[in-house]
Amino acid sequence: MLISLSLGTLKISPGEVLKILMSRISGMPSELLTSPAANIVLNIRLPRVLLALLAGAAFSVSGASLQSLFRNPLVNEYILGVSFGAGFGAAASLVLFNRIIPPQVLAFACGLLAVVLVLVISEGARNTPVAVLLTGIIVSALFQALLSAVEFIASPYALQALFFWLLGSFSQATWTDLLWSGPLILAGLVLLLKLGWRINVLSLSDDEAKSLGLDVKRERVLIICLATLITSAVVSIAGIIGWVGLIVPHAARGLVGADNRLVLPLSAGLGASLMLLADDLIRTLSPFEFPVGILTSLAGIPFFLYLIKRSRSSWS
Amino acid sequence: MQIRVERLRVRYEDFELSVDNLLFSANRVSVLVGPNGAGKSTLLKVLAGLIKPVTSSIFVDGRDLARLRGSERAPLVSYVPQEHGAALNFRVFDFILMGRSGYLNIFAAPARADYEKTRDVISYLGLEALADRKCQELSSGERRIVLIARALAQDSKIILLDEPTTFLDLKHEMEIINLLRKLTEERAKTIITSVHSIDLIPRLADFLVMIKNGRILAAGPTAEIFQAELLENLFDYPLQVVEAGGRQLILR
Repeated sequence: MLISLSLGTLKISPGEVLKILMSRISGMPSELLTSPAANIVLNIRLPRVLLALLAGAAFSVSGASLQSLFRNPLVNEYILGVSFGAGFGAAASLVLFNRIIPPQVLAFACGLLAVVLVLVISEGARNTPVAVLLTGIIVSALFQALLSAVEFIASPYALQALFFWLLGSFSQATWTDLLWSGPLILAGLVLLLKLGWRINVLSLSDDEAKSLGLDVKRERVLIICLATLITSAVVSIAGIIGWVGLIVPHAARGLVGADNRLVLPLSAGLGASLMLLADDLIRTLSPFEFPVGILTSLAGIPFFLYLIKRSRSSWS
Repeated sequence: MQIRVERLRVRYEDFELSVDNLLFSANRVSVLVGPNGAGKSTLLKVLAGLIKPVTSSIFVDGRDLARLRGSERAPLVSYVPQEHGAALNFRVFDFILMGRSGYLNIFAAPARADYEKTRDVISYLGLEALADRKCQELSSGERRIVLIARALAQDSKIILLDEPTTFLDLKHEMEIINLLRKLTEERAKTIITSVHSIDLIPRLADFLVMIKNGRILAAGPTAEIFQAELLENLFDYPLQVVEAGGRQLILR
């Protein structure tokens, strides 16, 4: 983390970063805190690094939970429409409301709305995992169409802003964003980790889970809501960053097997480190802000092909 | 623990099952038998609380099954499907441990007592060699035993099984039959199971329920109703029951 904080266009040594952090924590007035370096470390890099860590953990844990819940290794954290819901929300804010409602807020609201829509519609269809997945695909398509409609009428300036939002980046992270999303994401993560055993049982057939004493419908909805909450919280700030929630859980299962009591915390750790690493690479290697979403996709696809070729011993 | 069924009517995928009155006595092996699609699996699923009947009163030891929450039902009744539907390839030990889930708070993971219970079940069934293997590496006979082990970890007095011997070879078939007998005799379990092959009935069943077209054709102690006429009527096929070596055999 210290190294991550020292990386960037302005080189600040890890030792200096540590000094800045220590003097901020101790609350002692020092001229160090008013230096430009301190400003960069505390107000630009620190929220960015924290958000990258939270994002990696949130994507990976919700991906892992949903893969087990839907008994499907190809499911990712966006399968229920969070991405296009949030995308449409951001677009609406940038294009239709001219940022009167901040894009973060509207993206978060629409991401949640998409998944609520999925749950309400699929409730009529007996709420089987397949019904929920299919509804997710349909609702995603709906929001994708709405997003395209908004893009069509957008001004070039708004379109550019939207374009960068959709590519995904941590460069916009501020303390204000972290203040509301951080606790939300952390709480969601803790609850999902505590549900690890339940998620194991829910990965059996519905009949089995029910006869083992679970309230299958309610517990499934709870887990979907938590996974959605943490994913939308990240997406609304950082945009759509793909592939992490699909791949990290597979890597974790490759290391510890199928048991979600281990897979979920390991996914959180791996996802957080991977995301931080990806963001570090971007900040060091390119002089301009290369969107992290492109990097994770480019790195994720070959890795996924490798996973497919390798044993799939954790899945039936 | 006994199960009493009164005025049961189920509609399930344009199939109707109705049972006026049926009593499964405690500490017995009851066998459901009948042609394919007669309603055996449906009846089992209703008893397990997996299908909601249109009307019925099902009393488990005097308690109304419909009024029980999942976590209240699990310690009373367990259900063993023919195949498990696990998408993830769990360790056999963890799979059996899942039998404890009904006793756990939603946010809790199994505790020491649950592990102990699971180890007891594994040693009772002699499954130590399987415990560290993955579910997918098991043969179909081993998978059935592991499913029964999970029901034993659930520790309910009543165990419902859906055709636990179908597709098994002779040795594994007899292993399951002997295990079910042993469970009623040593562990005082009440067992209700459907079977596909009627040859097994005399060795297995204390009580026999013949089901045809969603109705009970006959129900009673095996010794009384295991007769050629009833079985012929049940399967619409001529057959004979003969005695040999002190046992009843079916000739078809």
